[in-house]
Amino acid sequence: MSQILILLRKSILSFWRAKAAVCITFLVPVVLIYLFGHVFGLYRKDSGPAGIPIAVVNLSPEPAAQKLIDALKAEKAFAVITTRDIGKGATRPLTEADVRAGLHDNSYRYALILPMDMLPVDDLGVRMKFLFNPRNEIESQMVNGLLQKTVFSNVPQLLGMSLQRYSRSFLGKERFEHFNRVIADTVADTFGGDREEIFQRNIAGDFGIADLIHAKADPVPPVPASLRRLYQPEQMQANREEPSAVNNHSAAPSTSAPLLNHESKNENQKSGDLFSRIVKIDTEQVAGKELKNPMAARLVGGYAIMFLLFAVSGSAATLFEEKNSGVFQRLLSSPVRPAHILWARFLFGVILGLAQITALFCAGWVFFGLDIFHHVGGLLAVSLSAAAACSAFGILIAAIAPSAAAANGIATFVVISMSAVGGAWFPVTFMPDYIQRVSKLTLVYWSVEGFADVLWAGMSLLEVLPKVGILTGIAAGVMLVAIWRFNRGKLFD
Amino acid sequence: MLALRNVTKSYGSITALSGVSLNIGPGEFFGLLGPNGAGKSTLMSLVSGLRTPDSGSIELAGQPVTGSSFSVRRNLGLVPQTIALFPELTAEENLRIFGGLQGLRGNLLKAALDDAFSAAQLDDRRHSLVKTFSGGMQRRLNLVAALLHRPKLLLCDEPTVGVDPQSRNAIFEHLQHLNRTGVTIIYSTHYMEEAERLCSRIGIIDHGSILALGTLDDLLTRLPFEDEITFPVTALTAPLAVELASAGEIIAVDGTHRFRPRPGYPLSVFFALTESLGLPPRLFVNQRPTLEALFLHLTGRKLRDV
Repeated sequence: MSQILILLRKSILSFWRAKAAVCITFLVPVVLIYLFGHVFGLYRKDSGPAGIPIAVVNLSPEPAAQKLIDALKAEKAFAVITTRDIGKGATRPLTEADVRAGLHDNSYRYALILPMDMLPVDDLGVRMKFLFNPRNEIESQMVNGLLQKTVFSNVPQLLGMSLQRYSRSFLGKERFEHFNRVIADTVADTFGGDREEIFQRNIAGDFGIADLIHAKADPVPPVPASLRRLYQPEQMQANREEPSAVNNHSAAPSTSAPLLNHESKNENQKSGDLFSRIVKIDTEQVAGKELKNPMAARLVGGYAIMFLLFAVSGSAATLFEEKNSGVFQRLLSSPVRPAHILWARFLFGVILGLAQITALFCAGWVFFGLDIFHHVGGLLAVSLSAAAACSAFGILIAAIAPSAAAANGIATFVVISMSAVGGAWFPVTFMPDYIQRVSKLTLVYWSVEGFADVLWAGMSLLEVLPKVGILTGIAAGVMLVAIWRFNRGKLFD
Repeated sequence: MLALRNVTKSYGSITALSGVSLNIGPGEFFGLLGPNGAGKSTLMSLVSGLRTPDSGSIELAGQPVTGSSFSVRRNLGLVPQTIALFPELTAEENLRIFGGLQGLRGNLLKAALDDAFSAAQLDDRRHSLVKTFSGGMQRRLNLVAALLHRPKLLLCDEPTVGVDPQSRNAIFEHLQHLNRTGVTIIYSTHYMEEAERLCSRIGIIDHGSILALGTLDDLLTRLPFEDEITFPVTALTAPLAVELASAGEIIAVDGTHRFRPRPGYPLSVFFALTESLGLPPRLFVNQRPTLEALFLHLTGRKLRDV
């Protein structure tokens, strides 16, 4: 054991004296994580993208169409284009041909067409056309989500208009007006309010009449509770102001919920309230809601493992330098066995890894407010097992490579591949099924998941032990293969 | 001290050592002289336990040398051909590591370090990084790093490659001092001058076999001539060439001619002849034959041509 400790001390001293290596191991990853933090928007106060150009062709005479365009303009994510420059400062409204050409030549990547029959007379519903050029898949999905959210926020009013228009066509003007007159009278009798105003709102398809009945809502006793909840403004307001962790959304897709722009929502609140209560979706974030910067937990964990793999691979490659310099001859002619050299190098990799991970998580705490101090036990366990697995990987690279140059080449290829597949750069859940299956074979996956379990899900040391066990198993297995390869290889020959 | 019996070692189809048998007694300064690729380093690596022979046996102080025998390893020190040091560490840190690996601790280690720095004449540089040392300083440190644990057998594998004359002399003097204190030394080299200067017994090795073994005087008696007269090519006039043809052998070496008289040929006859031909005596230098001549005689090749 003393031989291993002496060799370990030698490795630490040599490493510490090599200022370039220290810089590359600690300073460079910290700087890169800081830069990546900017790239991935971990510092921005607002959320979501901004200014994505979207062309809108409005062929509909409906005032609601313009209202929808206004709602889109209110979204910070979009830069809505409705006209085309025809020279001398003059413009004209976009046509479908314009936007199709624009999509082909990448002038814009998304277009919304509101057709003449946006609210068809002979059918119930809202018609519109969405054209896109998915040059960037992630952006496309994001824009789709935002667009759907904005449209769905306006759909209740549009549907109301469509319903009333269809009803008028189906019932005829006289019966339609009679029907709505009776409803307006009944509402006014029951809840109060101006019956003519309620009637006008109803025939326009605007069922958000809560503001008209407010004054007399409370004194009338015999209204069923469910109906009262539907029309009571206080309850509606209370629902809207529930704690942030539990949000009530209308029929808008829940995936777009974090990107909601509440200013545009208020615009349509009145007419949407009725429909939003018919289909009500509660969303609740059950993990990581207390994190100041949840994305940083994954970013720092993933990149820490990638940089660690590079560091230990480089360190293992120095075994070749020591062989070529004759140091191995000197060591092995003294009371030192090859196993002593390998285990010393492995321990050095573990210590180096722990130091590097610690430095990067401290940087994460400084830069992104990552909470590392409430998870010290779990974080230490995952870091230790991940460092052991990475160090064993570095030894394996040295065991299978014929030279230092080959070791560096193999390490670069394997580390980058493993980092990409293992989820160091972005979550594996974004990847195809077969890649997700392959990712589970990488130590990067289990390390990143381990860090996420601790930092994101706040798991205890006990809860994170299975992943620690897997990483330790990987370390032991890889080290065994490395030693077997060393016994057959030429490094110590 | 060291006994090799019929040792053979091959690397694939290449035979590096072929049936080598050798006995080296305690306190000997044994030279292993041969060209590059002759098998010197292979023999060193087998003796130091870095490699195992394909056949034959090696014993050090009566114990078989095997890869796992720590007790044997504590009796030997190896000075590799290359600078086997950690350049990012100071000289003292290097020696502390190698001394520690040999089991030296505390005062014993401190005394060993002091002796080593004194011997290497590096007392004032012990806290300097090795990478800042000159080639000669590194060579001296490379040597003393193998001596910290006071080995009984020191293996020096061409320890003066690329060393300036001053450092070379310092290394020679230290090795001779060690040998006088009883340390057995095996010194491999392809410089015949080093072998002639240092070694009490010399083995000439080529193509994995020991071609000749003995003291310098013993080896030189194997030559079919006792003297060697060197002279410029221009001095070999036609009359001289005719006269010398029956008196011995003339060979061309490195732009000069060498006359090797047959045994019993009086040198006074040679010099009388040159004087009668009007050739000044200063052109002709008589010297004792060297190991170079022996190697040439044994192999038909020059040491440094190989």
